[in-house]
Amino acid sequence: MSTIFWEISKRNIRIHMLRSTLAMLGIIIGVVAIASMGILGNTIVQEVSSSLSSVGDSVIVTPYAGGGGGFGGGGGGSSANLYLTNQNFQQIKRSVAPNVAIPVMSTSAHMKVGVGSDDIVAPIYGLPPDDTQKLLPDLEAGDYSNGNSGCLVGTTFAKDHNIKVGSRISIGQNGEYGALRVTGIIKERGMSFDISTDNALVVTQDWFESSFDRSDDELNEVVVKVTDGDTADVKTTIEKQLNRNTKDKTVSVIDSKATLATIFETFGMVTTFVTAIGGISMIVAGVSIFNIMMMSVNERIKEIGIMRSIGTQKKEVMSMFIFEAAIIGIVGSAIGGMLSILAGYAISSLMFKTTEYLFTVASMLSVAEGVGFGIFICLLCGLYPAWQAANLNPIDALRHE
Amino acid sequence: MVPVIQFKDVVKIYPLKAGDVTALDHISFTVERGEFIAIMGPSGSGKSTLLNMMGCLDTPTTGYIFISGIGVHDMSDVELTNLRRDRIGFIFQYFNLFPLLNIIENVSFPQMLKSQKQVDEKKAIEVLRAVQLEERFYTHTPLELSGGQQQRVAVARALINDPDILLCDEPTGNLDSKTGASIMELMTELHHKGATIIIVTHDPHIAEYSDRIIRIVDGRIAQ
Repeated sequence: MSTIFWEISKRNIRIHMLRSTLAMLGIIIGVVAIASMGILGNTIVQEVSSSLSSVGDSVIVTPYAGGGGGFGGGGGGSSANLYLTNQNFQQIKRSVAPNVAIPVMSTSAHMKVGVGSDDIVAPIYGLPPDDTQKLLPDLEAGDYSNGNSGCLVGTTFAKDHNIKVGSRISIGQNGEYGALRVTGIIKERGMSFDISTDNALVVTQDWFESSFDRSDDELNEVVVKVTDGDTADVKTTIEKQLNRNTKDKTVSVIDSKATLATIFETFGMVTTFVTAIGGISMIVAGVSIFNIMMMSVNERIKEIGIMRSIGTQKKEVMSMFIFEAAIIGIVGSAIGGMLSILAGYAISSLMFKTTEYLFTVASMLSVAEGVGFGIFICLLCGLYPAWQAANLNPIDALRHE
Repeated sequence: MVPVIQFKDVVKIYPLKAGDVTALDHISFTVERGEFIAIMGPSGSGKSTLLNMMGCLDTPTTGYIFISGIGVHDMSDVELTNLRRDRIGFIFQYFNLFPLLNIIENVSFPQMLKSQKQVDEKKAIEVLRAVQLEERFYTHTPLELSGGQQQRVAVARALINDPDILLCDEPTGNLDSKTGASIMELMTELHHKGATIIIVTHDPHIAEYSDRIIRIVDGRIAQ
């Protein structure tokens, strides 16, 4: 039964090729807008998550800086602290055991690589040698045997300043803090909640303390690597232990996993919002489909009347118009789906310099969503005209000129 | 034998804002199998309403209509549509063929509706031969044919499901007199083969081909 109506629908689209093509164009644009926005959003999420996921098991403890004004200097429980004390560190260490707590000192310093090179300013981190590998498990080159005269450097820093294992870096504007030999290059870590090493130097805590005149009561942060239990529980434990006085807090605690989740949730919302904007173009396309289908019905009122008078059921008339909307929807959405992959490829290549996230499940799901929504909108917008056609009075339709 | 059409005291009233219009006023008549009837009357007399009733396109306000013994006055739309498809063949003044379908497909259309299957070309060719349409036109579209040829195709389409009645609404109204005469000769030939034909016309020359004339005046049968 449906074959003849399918055939009539196909021929009607073919005979009004320009009109049908314009309707398809609307759907194509809508699908491309939705799918490519989805791909873009997913690529951003994947790109960010690849940078941040390595620190998803950390809890970062910093001196409490809020509430009581600016930096006050010294340790202890003042309303705004600059440093964590060794006592704070010991408390943290005990409360989070068996998880590892790593004390971190940091500053920025002038330095020169080799003889006669330009003056560089870069962050320097001081870590206990035994904990360095726990915090920075991956090296690109060299090893951790950084005694007091050795250091590790971040990969970007090494590339930018042509540093290799064995290079010498003199610290201070005139080398007043001494010289360090590079023993290893740290693998790229991207953005991190704990320490950002890509553009930095990592030295031993002893060297840091002696060179920058720091004591072990002047820690900038403590990083807890959570291997046992949940990061949220560890955070709560530390807060209970160190922030007993709710009015006068000692530390701020960041749960990297929860922060990551919030970031991903925010990205997800942004992706949804941007995709919804793309959806507006689909709704515009839907209005155009509706308009074209109504035109098609109005042009064929007499034909519908003839069909009904010689024995065509209402549902058969309806199917003829639904087929027409479906053909426009399926063809338009399929073309849109293919073009959105190309658009996603172009956007990924230009914006992120990589297409590795293009063929992920999430990105392909965005394409499928765009295609599905395109077909759905076409069918939805074809439904009322089809219903109207099916319910025309055969006598009135036959009289129509 | 059961009459092909039986009208019993049929009234059709169209409710309008300006007041009700009685299109058919207590009409009763019977059409026996194999009859060739002409329905005549001036414009607005109710002959189109009568044709619509006979073709199951409309239902009466009061009264009873039977097609081959089946009461249609209280049928659902689906049942009326099936009755039109299976028992009634329509022939219109303006041919009313489907421009997107070729001749074979046009003729096969009601058959496809009935059988719910793909085109049976054999049967279509058989009826096209019966209406004397040249074979070379079978794959053409209706607009590539002359008026007379199109009306022959329309007759073939009306015949494809072997209907009980052929209802013709001014079948020669859009043709020149020579072509009109050839179509009426075709009708006469079909009648001689046993077809029941009802023609609505205002042309007395066309009415002369029929066995009986029903005249409608102001919604009533005048004789």
